[in-house]
Amino acid sequence: MRKSKILIVDDSEMNRSILADMLEEEYVVLEAEDGEQAVAVLQEHHADIALVLLDIVMPRLDGFGVLEIMGREGWIEDLPVIMISSESGSDQVARAYDLGVSEFISRPFDALAVRRRVLNTLILYAKQKRLMDMVEEQILETQRQSGMMIQILSHIVEVRNGESGQHILHVRKLTDVLLRALTRKTGVYGLTGEDINRISVGSALHDIGKIVIDEKILNKPGKLTAEEFAVMKTHAMKGAEMLDALEEHRDDPLVRTAYEICRWHHERYDGRGYPDGLRGDDIPISAQVVALADVYDALTSPRVYKAPIPHGQAVQMIAEGQCGVFNPLLLECLRENADNIRRELAADDDESIAARESQNIVNDSVRAAHVSDAASARTLRLLDYERMKHSFFSEMTKELQFEYTVSPSTLILSAWGAQTLGVGEIIADPGRDEALRAVLGEDGWGQFSWHMRQTTPEEPNVGYECPLTYNGQTRWHHIVLRTIWTTDTPPRFQGALGKAIDIHDARQRITALEKKAARDSMTGLLNRAAAKERIGERMEERPNSHYALGIFDLDYFKTANDRYGHQFGDRVLKTVAGRLVHSVRSSDIVCRAGGDEFLLFLEYNTDLERTIDRIFHSLCGPLDDYHISVTMGVARCEDAGQSYEAMFRAADSALYAAKRAGKGRYCFYDGSMRDVLTAISDIDDEQGGTAP
Amino acid sequence: MTIQECYRAIGADYDEVLGRLRSERLIQKFVLKFPEDGSFQLLCDSMDAGDLETAFRASHTIKGVCANLGFARLGASSHDLTEALRARDGAKAAALLAQVKTDYAETITAIRAYQSGI
Repeated sequence: MRKSKILIVDDSEMNRSILADMLEEEYVVLEAEDGEQAVAVLQEHHADIALVLLDIVMPRLDGFGVLEIMGREGWIEDLPVIMISSESGSDQVARAYDLGVSEFISRPFDALAVRRRVLNTLILYAKQKRLMDMVEEQILETQRQSGMMIQILSHIVEVRNGESGQHILHVRKLTDVLLRALTRKTGVYGLTGEDINRISVGSALHDIGKIVIDEKILNKPGKLTAEEFAVMKTHAMKGAEMLDALEEHRDDPLVRTAYEICRWHHERYDGRGYPDGLRGDDIPISAQVVALADVYDALTSPRVYKAPIPHGQAVQMIAEGQCGVFNPLLLECLRENADNIRRELAADDDESIAARESQNIVNDSVRAAHVSDAASARTLRLLDYERMKHSFFSEMTKELQFEYTVSPSTLILSAWGAQTLGVGEIIADPGRDEALRAVLGEDGWGQFSWHMRQTTPEEPNVGYECPLTYNGQTRWHHIVLRTIWTTDTPPRFQGALGKAIDIHDARQRITALEKKAARDSMTGLLNRAAAKERIGERMEERPNSHYALGIFDLDYFKTANDRYGHQFGDRVLKTVAGRLVHSVRSSDIVCRAGGDEFLLFLEYNTDLERTIDRIFHSLCGPLDDYHISVTMGVARCEDAGQSYEAMFRAADSALYAAKRAGKGRYCFYDGSMRDVLTAISDIDDEQGGTAP
Repeated sequence: MTIQECYRAIGADYDEVLGRLRSERLIQKFVLKFPEDGSFQLLCDSMDAGDLETAFRASHTIKGVCANLGFARLGASSHDLTEALRARDGAKAAALLAQVKTDYAETITAIRAYQSGI
């Protein structure tokens, strides 16, 4: 392990040496002989230094002076300081603690105490740092996820409304800009940064009520009739009702805010809006701002029925009251920020908003974690808020979402997911959980773990398909997950986040299509191309196995057709196909190579001849009063070569040899047949007698 | 003279120091270094020059080093001097300096005797 660096600051060389002697076995020791030197060393190396031992009484700049500078530069936040002191005056001690000192070491030094105190302080700081990293990681992740959920929701509403893909993002951005401008102007509305963020997020939902409005009205290019407009107007109340129906969440601040926005974003400041005819500041400020943002973006964006209006003109139209009546303070904010807004909307895309926001929240909470207990309560509130937001959106999307932590091994499912699967929300030791095993199947958890192990910190995402059994049905799902790693070096695996998506129907359709294409429609066996491909795959998978390939065709098949008709001929083919399937293992590959020719491919360990003999005899036998007889050539890969083509040719030669020796038999390929003609479809004595 | 005898000669408790520093090698190293430390000279010079601030720091350093090495007698007299100097009481400091000088001389004599015996 790399040694941590410790800086010892003391004006007495003797004192420095004593400390250095005690510590240099386990740490790299840097020394400074007064406060100024210490500051110079810190200036350059503060990021590498793990801990400072600091004397108080020193020439030029004393210990307190060093602490003040460390505080001003922000170094004290992640660099612990242990004060060396023989002064035990309590006002000195209190002052040192106020300035951020973590510990004291008093003279005379005790070697054990010094080493222990240094180690304890380092451990404490490392732990704190890890906790902060975890909080940061969690906030980023939930932020990213709820951002994604909002985008999905917004997009659904937009697609239906036939609006530009940017409308909801623009409204959100405008809401944010206007609210910040408003708080700079007045404290009347008592908006905190958190309120502004919540209203901006909630603004994305302002038109969700349009989901229930008839598409014909929604996307009508011309002017709406009075009745149509009346229907259109219901979207405000409908949206609010939808949110109010979320029993579990309706009292959450975000849902309350979204409710206000949905219900009242078409009210007018003069009381002539809908649905409730609220007037002035009876309309919640959230809804007032979103209403203005909505109108502004509608004017400046293209619609089916109109071209976009330039920004300057739009601001003027709104200010002149052509597009409704708004709070005069908000109109001022709009006018004063017109340039700013135009620039932001032009430059912004969703990603940069999300990135900036999460950055802000992380910065806030990380700073908060340092400052005081009150601030860490704020961090927890933010976390709570993020979790609530996340659960709100995951509830709405009805997805099977999960989180997994490795130590202790725990799987956490979304409430809806756990209910759907019939398992607990929090599953300790999921590998041994019976209810989960019933869902995942015998080896399901092993498979899940295996896929997690395939990821790396650089490539944390993985997806795979597996069947899940619940509600009495087994359905195929696509599992996507992202593993989480620590930021240490080397990173340690901590767990994963992910979800399961039902792909059963889609997969069903695809497999059916694949099957259709790969199979011979009469016998249901694979066709030659598909068999060839599977044989190739099999030999590639297990190149060291023993394989045999057999080809056979029906003796006197033409006669059977001629004498009994084609329908009977088809029955013969189907019967042979059925007998073939039943006489081989499911892992063997059989196909109808074309006409009355069939192919089988099998893996064997011992006694191939007995296996072939058994298959051969089960193929032959009567069908009604017709006797089915076949002739077969077989090639082993040892004799023919390790490829489909070589084995096919060799089996073909063996088939020819068998026919020459008199049909109704099988023959193994050997080297002597190398130059023999091939049999398939070329030579068959169809004029020969039948054997009914 | 052994290191233990040296400690006895200057009225110091060797076992206490060994208990703290946990290494005879370390004690020996620092005891031998003590005469080379410039703090005593700095104390005398700054007292002569009436620079009470520097004298305070020098006295404070001597006191700290003595505490670490367990030199109790010199530690006690330099402690009293440090407190007088912290209060910038020049007259009292001048009186206390004499005792520090006596104790220092005694300490140095013992260390030299030990050093010549190695």
